[in-house]
Amino acid sequence: MIKRLTSLAQACSWLAVVTTLGLVLLLLGFLGLRGFDALNPALFFGKTPAWAAITARLPVWHGIWPACVGTVTLVLLASLLAIPLGLASGIYLASYAPGPWKRWFALAVELLAAIPSIVMGLFGFALILFLKKTLAPQANTCLLLSAGCLALLVLPYLILMTQTTLEALPSELRLTGLSLGFTPWQNLVHILLPAGGRGILSGVILAVGRAAEDTAVILLTGVVANAGLPSGILGKYEALPFHIFYLAAEARSDAELAQGFGAALVLLLLTAALFLGAYYLQNTLAKAWKQKDLLI
Amino acid sequence: MEAKRPVDLEPSVRVEHLHVSFGGREVLHDLSAQFAPGEITVILGRSGSGKSTFLRALNRLNECFPGSATRGSVRLKLQGQWRDIYREALPLTELRRRVGMVMQTPHLLPVSIAANLALPLKLVLGLPRREIPARVAGALKEAHLWEEVADRLDAPAHTLSGGQQQRLCLARVLALEPEILLVDEPTASLDFRASLKVEELLLSLKERYTIIAVSHSLSQARRLADAALIFRDGSVAERLSREDLQAPDTLQALLEEIF
Repeated sequence: MIKRLTSLAQACSWLAVVTTLGLVLLLLGFLGLRGFDALNPALFFGKTPAWAAITARLPVWHGIWPACVGTVTLVLLASLLAIPLGLASGIYLASYAPGPWKRWFALAVELLAAIPSIVMGLFGFALILFLKKTLAPQANTCLLLSAGCLALLVLPYLILMTQTTLEALPSELRLTGLSLGFTPWQNLVHILLPAGGRGILSGVILAVGRAAEDTAVILLTGVVANAGLPSGILGKYEALPFHIFYLAAEARSDAELAQGFGAALVLLLLTAALFLGAYYLQNTLAKAWKQKDLLI
Repeated sequence: MEAKRPVDLEPSVRVEHLHVSFGGREVLHDLSAQFAPGEITVILGRSGSGKSTFLRALNRLNECFPGSATRGSVRLKLQGQWRDIYREALPLTELRRRVGMVMQTPHLLPVSIAANLALPLKLVLGLPRREIPARVAGALKEAHLWEEVADRLDAPAHTLSGGQQQRLCLARVLALEPEILLVDEPTASLDFRASLKVEELLLSLKERYTIIAVSHSLSQARRLADAALIFRDGSVAERLSREDLQAPDTLQALLEEIF
């Protein structure tokens, strides 16, 4: 009986894995098939010569280059805001927060995680309206505002992953450094964080992926269809997800629709490149930590 | 069984009226004891009699556990000076380096063999980079491990056997130049041969350090101990000399007492 149940459970889990993998492959295949033909310099730069566009000497019309730059800048800026804050909060929750505080803080993080992105976008929009009427009449929706709202949106992933990773480390590891005379800070920086590197990295990857794909937040906080390259963090900008959304909703020809698929494929590749970058960075750091290159 | 042999050496650890509790539950109760340098004192007792908590009271590691509270005095002779570790502002990092501790199971850092020693040397002692290799080698030799690992210092530390891992932990502590060694059932996770090696090592170290070891094994205590303390319900029930431990009638009484 137990044997039969076990094999049933095994079959189910196999089925689940195969289904998930199959769906992902189907999606990738579909995107690849539809988007691959659109992947050419014209998709990125329209009729502008590539080098002139990359060096920003000539503006790009009908190309997704400004949107690529916009998305990368947006994700980097949001990560810059969210990663330090998220890691620090996770560390605080895992190592320092006293009991009652911890419960309240954890509740706040869960609430933050439950906020839909459109609400976060509305929050950013309302914030700018408020600033306009009070402290800063010239304030407007912009890259910085979007990045700030996105940072808030992805913060819970970072906090929860950091906290759970650190809490899951064996308690011996925590004691080892302390028993040798490490300060709590040294213990954290030189032992606990590197040992939890992989888990924290997956939090970062989740956050980066979420920030790269989100459309609702940026829709209300500064993205536009035609802005060219972002002029600065207080300027309007273009972004790939919004571009895809715009083309999907309002494509007037098959060529424009194909451009939409091309843009989707580019977004996918861009996110993959960001993940690989994060993975490479973590791997390099882990290797340096394991050897400490202090060898005899 | 009263102590038949007075401590003839000037002690280097004096514990008086020590109470330790966790979340209001008292684990050590009015415990007083002293330990001499150049000797191995073995602490015996049932599980839960407070042996490990006692060791951790000597380097204030109990404070890393939630709800711990300590009363009483623990005075250690460090660098020829008596320090009351719960009253004086002796930095914790300094205390824990001078009072080295080896735990029940090998607590390795998940890094290379060399880095396990190098990291504390760099962080705790602030040793310049060029002095670290010599110190690492010295400590590995002192722990009788050098010949076994000299050609694979870059290998992950967890690739060592259990006994080697435990000696690596000891080497890591020795590298920091402690004066007192706390050893918590160092052979609990080892087979007989590996245990004997660790015991040999401890015997070879006892000249230079005050060693306080917790043990579960009476035969190990008889091989190692210059003196033994029997713990019962969080305080010292008896103190035995080396001769007491060897006497057959003591043995019988002890067996009944502890096991």
